[in-house]
Amino acid sequence: MYIRAVDAVRATGLVKRFGTTTAVDGVDLVIGSGEIRGLLGPNGAGKTTLLRMLFGLIRPDSGSVELLGHRLDHLGGDALDAVGGFVEEPSFYPYLSGRSNLRLVAKLDGVGAGADEIEDALRRVDLAGRADDRVSGYSTGMRQRLGLAAALLRRPRLLLLDEPTSGLDPGGTRAVAALVRELAAGGVAVLLSSHQIGELEKVCDSFTVLRHGRVVWNGTAAELDAQAPRSAYALFTSDDALAIELASRVPAIRIQSAARGGLVVAARPESMDELVAALGDARVLIRRLELVVSPLESMFFALTAEHDGAALDELEPQQLADTILAGA
Amino acid sequence: MTTVAPAAPAARAEPRIGSGVRNSYETELSKLMAQLPTRILVLICALGPLAFAAVLKVQSGTPSDALFGFWVHSSGFAVSLVILGFAGSWGFPIIAGVLAGDLFSSEDRHGTWKTILTRSCTREDVFAGKLLAAGTCAIGLTLVLGASSLIAGLVLVGAHALVNLSGVLTSPGRMLALTVVSWLICLLPVLAYTSLAVLVSVATRNGILGVLGPLLVALITQLLDLIGKGVIVHELLIGSAFEGWHGLFTSHPFFGQVAIGTLVSVAWIAACLAASWRIMRRRDFLTGVSSSGPSWRAPIKVVAIGTAVIAALAFGCSLGPTGVTAYRVAYTIGNEFNNVTLLQQQLIGRRVPPNARLYVQPQCNRRGTKAIGPGDWSCNVYVYLPQPNSVPYQLTSVEYDVSVQYNGCYKAQSPPAFLGGQSMLDAAGRQVTNPLFVVYGCFNIL
Repeated sequence: MYIRAVDAVRATGLVKRFGTTTAVDGVDLVIGSGEIRGLLGPNGAGKTTLLRMLFGLIRPDSGSVELLGHRLDHLGGDALDAVGGFVEEPSFYPYLSGRSNLRLVAKLDGVGAGADEIEDALRRVDLAGRADDRVSGYSTGMRQRLGLAAALLRRPRLLLLDEPTSGLDPGGTRAVAALVRELAAGGVAVLLSSHQIGELEKVCDSFTVLRHGRVVWNGTAAELDAQAPRSAYALFTSDDALAIELASRVPAIRIQSAARGGLVVAARPESMDELVAALGDARVLIRRLELVVSPLESMFFALTAEHDGAALDELEPQQLADTILAGA
Repeated sequence: MTTVAPAAPAARAEPRIGSGVRNSYETELSKLMAQLPTRILVLICALGPLAFAAVLKVQSGTPSDALFGFWVHSSGFAVSLVILGFAGSWGFPIIAGVLAGDLFSSEDRHGTWKTILTRSCTREDVFAGKLLAAGTCAIGLTLVLGASSLIAGLVLVGAHALVNLSGVLTSPGRMLALTVVSWLICLLPVLAYTSLAVLVSVATRNGILGVLGPLLVALITQLLDLIGKGVIVHELLIGSAFEGWHGLFTSHPFFGQVAIGTLVSVAWIAACLAASWRIMRRRDFLTGVSSSGPSWRAPIKVVAIGTAVIAALAFGCSLGPTGVTAYRVAYTIGNEFNNVTLLQQQLIGRRVPPNARLYVQPQCNRRGTKAIGPGDWSCNVYVYLPQPNSVPYQLTSVEYDVSVQYNGCYKAQSPPAFLGGQSMLDAAGRQVTNPLFVVYGCFNIL
């Protein structure tokens, strides 16, 4: 039997303007089933507008969207049948309980989600104990959990999630990451928009970076590692002066003293390995070594910083790391 | 990146059960019924008429300015009809506003458009579901109000015969049928007000304007009823459609206003819903950003357009033929005076032969200005009474103050010195309402 390849998301040439502002400017996006794609960009980059277009909530001025092989028009309908998720903070009817809200959205789906299914969704997001409280009394994190439960009720094949861990405690954040990975393992495609780069890095297989409404980088985690500018590390040694001297002999590495003590090193992983070996050979003790700016973060800041045309290698992630450490 | 899907092309995760409209309708219905204003409204519609009838029961006063109001102590049907009259002016616009005025704007307020429009429902489904839910509740509450008013009247006052708008005592059976039909006639105009509330809610995204919109339109309709003599613009207002039932309660029923009211209601429903869908269909659902400008623009635009429309309507109220003329007022008053006088004679035990008629000559003039149009009229009814010793008749004159509305309905009252008090003793010595004291009537203005 012939099986046609079906992408979970296939968006082509999406453009959306609000007055004189172009929020999304010719975005192409393809996400395969089972893929977890991270969507990054600074505020105003067009992430939310893009998600709203994928949900059919706003009409693109041009371009088209196919979800799970169904062309989406802005009036919704079939194309959204197996699509779950939310954009911005999930919203519910405050005068109804969490459970009643889930019953209501399940009814809208027409899939007849039964009481068991609703209970299961509530349990999976750890909200069963407060399910009978009115949503007006929920915290941001609880609304977020309810939004996830509502998305799960659809038994989705594509999840579009906008800042799903916003307002969640660390335990909740980890649980969401585990849930996303579990769903993806079952073939569900996930588009995850977030400002928490560290969280995305742990979960996503691939990334799309937006800036000024355009895709400025798109690729897999492996491609990211290969292309990312130097990461930044905090390094605490027994002899910082010698460490600086040794680092100067390693190619493509930059090192400086940190404002609050220790050193900040900008290097690719292979250069960092070389420096660590050199420190060992010179009997310089490494008391602490930690990654402060990850490859994805350095890529993100490089791509979204306001200095058009600068080569990635010219950027100074160690300055950023220094700033982060100074504030820590 | 392209991946091979396990099942293709485009397999659905789950089949839909039932249509989107049905799912949306059931959802909207449960949302509406879960809201406090709707529940309060249900309580008011169910218990309000009972409270009203109970208050009437323990006091001697009557809401005599309302059509049939003078008869609330005599017949339970009058209670229901008084409530219907009040509902037509104020109650139905309130019901429509509360049910539909916040139906769409509440989704904006709660930010829940994205919650419902990202499920397996199209915008058509959601729009239709909301309309059906509002329509169902509006019809349901109208029927509850009607049933409750009828039950309250019949239980607390009694299923007695009632003097109709031509001054003829009408049997309880016929009155029951006419009262039920009158309530049913009002369903379409109720839906017209509901559609108007939907339009305001969709257009302004403002719940306050949506809820108050129909009430404001009702108020404006009442004010417009006081000015201008023309029939055309008056008949095109939604409020006028609630008055069609008056014609059923005359001895020679006229149905023109019912027909026009039906057409006008349908036209309002079609126009409001078409405009609402046009707005809904083209809309982008954003948060914090409005593609059509700042949030205050829509209400200001509505107020500006509304003011212009009111001014145009006020000007237009004088256009077209006049329904209230001296001839029509005099003819109807004379005829009704004849009927209620004969009824009074029957009540006090005098024998009135079938088809008996008094020789009555009414003369009516509008106070202050020329004798045309609604307002305060003065009618002198000259009665020529046959007397054995009088040649040829004894002439008696009765003066009535007549308050005539644009729709041809009036209330006529004479000083007690002429016709006696509000109540009188019947042949059996019981206190009964004096049918000549206050006279209600309606004539066809078309």
